[in-house]
Amino acid sequence: MLHAPREEWPDADAFLEEAYARGWTDGLPVVPATPEKVEAFLAVAGVDPAEVLGSVPTREVTVTAEHAAINAVMAGCRPEYFPVVVAAVRAHLDEHGNCHSTTGTLSGAAHAVIVNGPVRHEIGIACGAGCLGPGFRANATIGRALRLVIRNVCRAIPGFLDRATYSWPLRYSFCFGEDEEAGDWTPLHVQRGYAADQSTVTVHSVMRMISAWDSTSRDPEGVLDTLVAETRYHGIQGDAFLGDGVNVVYVMGREHQRFFFEAGWSKERMQEYLWPRLTADTTGFHDRRVNLGHPEKILVVAAGGAGMAETWILMPHLAWAITRPVERSTLDPAPGPGSRPRSSP
Amino acid sequence: MTIVALDPTSGPIGASDTERRLAPRPRSLGGERLGLVVNGLGCSERFLDALAEELVALGGIADVVKVVKPSVSVPPEPDDWARLTEGATVAVTGFGG
Repeated sequence: MLHAPREEWPDADAFLEEAYARGWTDGLPVVPATPEKVEAFLAVAGVDPAEVLGSVPTREVTVTAEHAAINAVMAGCRPEYFPVVVAAVRAHLDEHGNCHSTTGTLSGAAHAVIVNGPVRHEIGIACGAGCLGPGFRANATIGRALRLVIRNVCRAIPGFLDRATYSWPLRYSFCFGEDEEAGDWTPLHVQRGYAADQSTVTVHSVMRMISAWDSTSRDPEGVLDTLVAETRYHGIQGDAFLGDGVNVVYVMGREHQRFFFEAGWSKERMQEYLWPRLTADTTGFHDRRVNLGHPEKILVVAAGGAGMAETWILMPHLAWAITRPVERSTLDPAPGPGSRPRSSP
Repeated sequence: MTIVALDPTSGPIGASDTERRLAPRPRSLGGERLGLVVNGLGCSERFLDALAEELVALGGIADVVKVVKPSVSVPPEPDDWARLTEGATVAVTGFGG
């Protein structure tokens, strides 16, 4: 049984105008969340409307599956996307996802939703050329669904509990998949303890997105040294609450990937190379220390198309990158023992 | 054709939430108890300590209640929050980074 208040409007235009008037949108049109559509979304994910996906204690807010489904419909999702939205909301609301801070901050941090596993192909998550931008319904609407939950349910409304000085276009939507088939690297979710055939979502709070453009290096060390220099220019501060769990994400495109594939470098070898160089003591103002607790806190994700010799650095805001399984989808195989995480980052 | 749609929010936000007003400003700090929230950004503690020293030197401040958040990313501890709200009559609660 659905619990949300329901109202009747004479037509779609009247609903939309009222949705704007009530502040239910991010400024773009939304789809009316009819009870039938919401129930269909919940059925695909196999979740009860009242199932709690998480909470924001500082705002006295509890987020249910019904809340998430209503906002996923409004964002323009298809029903089969909803298990991915559920996983993203759960990840975002993890204690160390630090929802209150990352959505209220002056810095206007965004939230990257990184999808791994078979669900990418089943629902059409873009992982290759143009995957960080517009043009892909699954990417656009899943990322937007999380943002509408943050706005409508968690009350991060600009000028109210969203105190961003500028905010950021990435706050409309930011979702992409890892291009797991690009080479022989261990996918992100497998590195984080999940089986390869388990679909997952990793939510990473992003304070800055920095281009590491390096078209002159021709070997792994050269590319990684560029990443170190760009990352250390900004630095990553330490935080007592987050401890050694903070992550940085490197979204590496094909023109950089190929040097690693050709030289036989694994992600693990990249992490071992990067970590001591990132965490070395500072040498000056534009060479700041990067507070990362362990090499595995460096998350390398293959994505993007050919052409630009570039890696995007997703610098963290005050949160861990949290990975959660995409569960109970009618599209996914039933989770087996191997699908449980060995650790719970 | 009419449309029935569900409310996407976790409940109404009252006018008192969305139209918050600044608290009344005292005409002077005479007799006031000054609260300070050190949020950990930048040199916030050094700055707020210096500010308190300056204000106390002007005379009239009855007491200073200083709260240090355990981390930039979390609210003050409940005990510290209670100490602030019960012990201070004016407060500097923000320090932008």
